Amino acid sequence: MIEDFDRILDECIDRINRGDNLADCLSDYPEYSERLKPLLKSIHNVQKTYAFTPSADTKRAARQEFHAAMDKRRQASSVPSFLKMISRPAVLATVAVLVLAIVGTLVIQPLFNPQTLVPNPDGNFAFLISDEPNDIGDFESLNVTISRVELQAAGSLKRIQFTPEIKTVDLTQLQGERTQEIWRGDVPEGQYSHVFIYVSQVKGKLESTGNIIEVKLPSSRLHLSVPFEVTADTVTSFTFDITVVATGSSGKYILKPQIGESEAQREQKPLE
Amino acid sequence: MNTGNSKNRSTIDEYESRLASLYEEYYDKLAHYVYVHIGNKEEAEDIAGEVFLRALKSLKSYKEQGIPMQGWLFRIAHNLTVDYIRKANKRRTVPMDSVILTGEDNPVDAAEKNIEFERVTEAMKQLTIEQREVINLRFFGGLTSKEAGDVLSKSDSAVREMQRAAIEKIRGIMGVER
Repeated sequence: MIEDFDRILDECIDRINRGDNLADCLSDYPEYSERLKPLLKSIHNVQKTYAFTPSADTKRAARQEFHAAMDKRRQASSVPSFLKMISRPAVLATVAVLVLAIVGTLVIQPLFNPQTLVPNPDGNFAFLISDEPNDIGDFESLNVTISRVELQAAGSLKRIQFTPEIKTVDLTQLQGERTQEIWRGDVPEGQYSHVFIYVSQVKGKLESTGNIIEVKLPSSRLHLSVPFEVTADTVTSFTFDITVVATGSSGKYILKPQIGESEAQREQKPLE
Repeated sequence: MNTGNSKNRSTIDEYESRLASLYEEYYDKLAHYVYVHIGNKEEAEDIAGEVFLRALKSLKSYKEQGIPMQGWLFRIAHNLTVDYIRKANKRRTVPMDSVILTGEDNPVDAAEKNIEFERVTEAMKQLTIEQREVINLRFFGGLTSKEAGDVLSKSDSAVREMQRAAIEKIRGIMGVER
């Protein structure tokens, strides 16, 4: 009896933590409602008294520090293995080809390279990721790692690019209306028509088996053709919606851009 | 061939991705959890940031032995909080004692809030350390009973029992309607 009550109280607390209201939980358990109500109200008082939301600026600064530490860790772990690798004779030829390719790229590519933008917390453009629920329910987690984003100006081939401040997003946490900002900075004013997301890795953990699987992309990038405008005095928030869908009964999944749920919204910039 | 090392690296990379994916949701919860312990919002935010940096440095030692990563983060937060309290103020038995809420425009509202704050803090002080930790993990950390049990090395039924006893005690001290 006590255990039943503990379980019901626990369930109500979970529901309240998720945003349900107290009355709904009480109405689901009328036989316990007289005992539940004062306890849940006490919880509400305690939560109200200690209410606290961290400041967005501090969170953003902490996030940047965290991502800088991640980059440093990755660089530190990748250099020794690279050195080991090039010491093997069999790899030398490949390295030579790569060096030639890099030299070629350095000479030729600058002519076509997109301009790279730097993050700015007060910038006029925010880039967000969301997930339209299709088969996302099959996953316990679905981590998408984005190496860069490109925006293409309308009526030309000119592109600009930026590297997300948050490179890995878990789509299971971004279903429906939920979004995650991955970059904010200054984007040149103008009309844009295409958005490209370059995805370096997609790893999903299946809810049913706990197995980690690699999710396929139609290509190494996700592309949306959506016209939008960026101006200097407004903040344009572009939400790129990604969805995961099962391919028949093969147990495989692919990641696709969801044009219907992707959009740009503009709002007035806050006064300095 | 060095598949052992590459396997280790891919496991660490996977942990790193998971840690990064928890940032948005758990930074706020960790800051809230720490705030309830130490009563200083700015310090709580700093400690929450530090939790992720410590976790990143310790990824190699993170093993999934039944504890989810979010539970591990709260263990790190708990350790950092204990360190902070030890260093900051050895006189305080419950750190919320000396907190004075500010930021209200109306002095009457501010005074009422402070009185309420003292009442709740006084009630929290009457709980055992474990009960207080359960309340903090459940109400401010947003963990489920199972996850809170993982952090505290308790079964979820033990957590539920401690939770009910703690709330009943708070209710007894504070009353309900006020």
